[in-house]
Order: sequence, then C-alpha cells, then structure tokens
Amino acid sequence: MAAVTNPFTAGTWIMEPKPQNFWGVPHTSWFFAMGVGGALFINRVLFGIELGRILGMTVADLLGMILIGIGGLILIGDLGKPLRVLRALLNPRTSWISVGAIADFVFLIFAGLWVIADLEWQGGRPLAGLPWAGNSPLGIAFQVIAAAAAFIVIVYPGLVLAASPSIPFWNTTLIPLQFLSFAFASAVGLALIFALWLPVPPALLTAWASAEILLLAVTLLLFVAHLLQGTASHATAKVAVTRLLKGELHVPFVWGTLIAGLLLPLFLGLYGAYAASPAPGLLALSALLALPGNWLSKYTVIKAGNYAPFL
Amino acid sequence: MPRWGMVIDLARCVGCYACTIACKVENGTPPGVWYAPVYEREVGSYPTAKRLFLPTLCYHCKNPPCMKACPTKAISKREDGIVLVDREKCCGSRACVAACPYGALTFVDEIKGEFGDELNPWERARYPQDGVGTVHKCTLCSHRIDEGNHEPACVQTCPTHCRIFGDLEDPGSEVSKLIRERNGAQPRPEAGTDPSVYYLR
Repeated sequence: MAAVTNPFTAGTWIMEPKPQNFWGVPHTSWFFAMGVGGALFINRVLFGIELGRILGMTVADLLGMILIGIGGLILIGDLGKPLRVLRALLNPRTSWISVGAIADFVFLIFAGLWVIADLEWQGGRPLAGLPWAGNSPLGIAFQVIAAAAAFIVIVYPGLVLAASPSIPFWNTTLIPLQFLSFAFASAVGLALIFALWLPVPPALLTAWASAEILLLAVTLLLFVAHLLQGTASHATAKVAVTRLLKGELHVPFVWGTLIAGLLLPLFLGLYGAYAASPAPGLLALSALLALPGNWLSKYTVIKAGNYAPFL
Repeated sequence: MPRWGMVIDLARCVGCYACTIACKVENGTPPGVWYAPVYEREVGSYPTAKRLFLPTLCYHCKNPPCMKACPTKAISKREDGIVLVDREKCCGSRACVAACPYGALTFVDEIKGEFGDELNPWERARYPQDGVGTVHKCTLCSHRIDEGNHEPACVQTCPTHCRIFGDLEDPGSEVSKLIRERNGAQPRPEAGTDPSVYYLR
C-alpha cells in the first residue's frame, strides 16, 4: 500500500503510531499452546507420530489435548467476564475468535472421544466396544473432524491478528502462515525430543529431522518476508519492524526468535541429521531451542503491533 | 431512516476540552475512559509554529470492524447507524479493541474513584456498576437522541460550534451541506469502515 498522508493537515500526523497494550503474555501462551497441541494431533493422524502410549492412549493425542485445553483455559481466564465464554460461540460468521472457540470445543470433544476408546485398564480395554473405537469408519470420521478442528485451532489466532485493519503490521496473511509452520516445527521438534527415550529407527529420525529443518527454514523465510513487507508497506508497520530489529523488542526478537529460535536450531538440525549418522542429542537440542523461539516469535509479533495514526 | 453522524470543523476547535468533559459528565465514564478525547500537537517551528487540536469520538462506522470481530454479538448497529456495545453480552475478549482502527473502544478492568479507591456518592450513582471486565465506547448519546431530537452532549456543549450533529442521509441537513461544500474527509478511509464522522479543514 502506498504511503498514506493525513488529509486534514496535508501530511502531518497529529497522532503517533500507538503500541497496542491489551494483548501480551497470556495471548502469546494461548496461541503457542494451541498451535503446538493442534500440530501434535495432526502429526499423529497423518504421519503416525504417536510419541509412545500411556494407558493405551497415544501420548501425542493426550499432549495435544492437554495443550489445547491449557490454551483454552488461558483464553477463558483472560476474558473480562470468563463466565460468559459460551457466548463466544455465537458469531462464527465474522469473528475469528468465535470460529476458534467452536473449533476448540469440537476438537476436545471428538479427539477426547476417540482417544478414550483406546484406554487400557487392568490388562483390558474396557471401552473397545465403542462404535468409534480404533479405525472403524466412525473412528476415522472422528479423527478427520478432530484434525480439521485442530488445523483451525492452529491458524485462527493468526487470522485474528491478520483480520485487524487497525494494526498494519498484523494485517497480513503471513502471520497465520508463520503460526502454522512454527506449530508444526515445534510438534516435530517434540518428537525429536521424545526420540531420546523412544526406540526410533535412524531412518525415521532422519526423516523427522528433515521435516523439522524444512519447517524451520520455511518459518524463517516467512519472518523475513513479514519484515520486508512491513518495511515496504505502511509507515506504521515500518515502525513495528524498527521496534523488532532495533528497539525494545530487539533482544527477544532478533536473539530469541531469529537466532536462538530459528537459525541455531536450523544449523544444529542440519549438522545432527546429515553431518554424520543422526545425532539424537543434537536434534533434541535443536528442537528444544525452537520451542521458546516459537513462544518468543508470537510474543514479539503481538507486542510490535501498533495502531496507525488516523488523524 | 436517518443515519446520524457528525462533522467536526477543525478550523473552529480551540482546544478547550469542553466536549471531553461534557461527555464524561453526561455518560458517567470512570477514570481512564474517555469517549470524546481531543488530541493536541504542536507542528512547525518559530515563527510558523502552530497547535493543532483534533476532537475525536467513536466514528459509528457504516461497516464497523469492531462488530465483526466481536465473538459474542455484543456490538450491534442500530438502523440509524449508531454502533452500541451491550455490556450484558460482552465477554471482555478485547477483539473489538484490536479491530477498531480509531482506538475508540476501552476495556475496563477495574473502576476506581477519581479521589482514591473508594467511590464517592456521585461516582457510585453514575459509574456503570456492570462495567468491569467489559468494553466501553461512545454511544453518540443515543439516550438523548431517543428522548427526542437532542444533540449529543459534546455537540451541545462545544462553544465554537466545532462539532455539528445531523442526518447524513438528508442532503438538506447542515452536516450534508458542509461535507459537500467543504470537502469533508473521513479518517483512515483506506480501512474501508465508512465512518459517520467527517472532518473539515
């Protein structure tokens, strides 16, 4: 978009770009938990990355549900009127928060029902007779519905930001794409961490590491594209980019997200996967660094948002 | 059906803040909540320095992004164009605060008195008791309009007739004439919100 001049004062803005201060750590944690949780579930459905079993139920599914549950609780706790949370389901036609809230509930219901059917207790599977147990047609339908809801859960926080016309730095589809790629990178990263304790064949470990490397590289490119777009598009978005690269958000963004959260894990992952035989310790370290990088990326992007002057 | 709106003549504003205070008195807004703030800035340098004043309010957009973003349908637009928040329905998600390009909505997380934590009798009577944890915004004094052809408090109080209220749908109204004759401009038209408030230079 071309530079916008103030129609009232022939170019002089009365107002400064104003940093938003209504969203911060709780929203970051909510977005992070839901993203990683949703990606864990989808990775299990599509690629069979189970991360072991507890009481017969896959750890990936349980962890995914726990993370999405935690994200939901943070969301509810952050509401000004938490007891009115069910009202947030009322406006899915235009409100991404409403769409996301519905997806949260759908995911927890369908994933929960499917997972619980695998429960093993005292040597038996007491719920194996449920019509959706295992890979029955109904079971597959439950998984597809839950996976679709998980996908929405991953991207809708990004869409909440991208749909905001008031904050130019957020107003881009690159944000939901970042959320998507970093969520899957973190979920695959958790598999690399779990691989320290699980019997994972080297070929599979290399495949996971390759996926992690690819996702981290894509995420890095998306951040570079976002910074370039912010610099070139709107004066207020340019202010946000300056705050990220040179201002008060410099350390958590440049050092925390770009270097420690993306570049370093990328190099460690490349070295750990291809330099010699797969090095599980290095791959786990790479994944461990990417997790806080993911959280910090969301925190810094949220905090960098500022309102464009309108007068 | 009218579309209520406002024209703000910047050449007439002297920065007295009477509109801001009249609004606070009329609506009983708690500390930190301003429905009609006036922004002020010095521009230029001696000998051509000057002060600019910009009175603002909720612009009651024809296409309000706050209403779209609200997950609980707590924000609605009346047939006469006035955009209102129903605090009984608001869950305090602040999605509307993020969406509004004009910073017109305020989330209230506590209500304290102007002179300490305790509310004085006037504050107890006037501050919205249901207001904590919800979003507050200018109502264009819809209660006065509904009572019968009254102007919003900020308009009635303005000593320089800088704020002019009227029906944007009526081509013969004073606001429509001013917009037409003096090229009234809407704030941030690129946001696509079609505000019901126009500014005159």
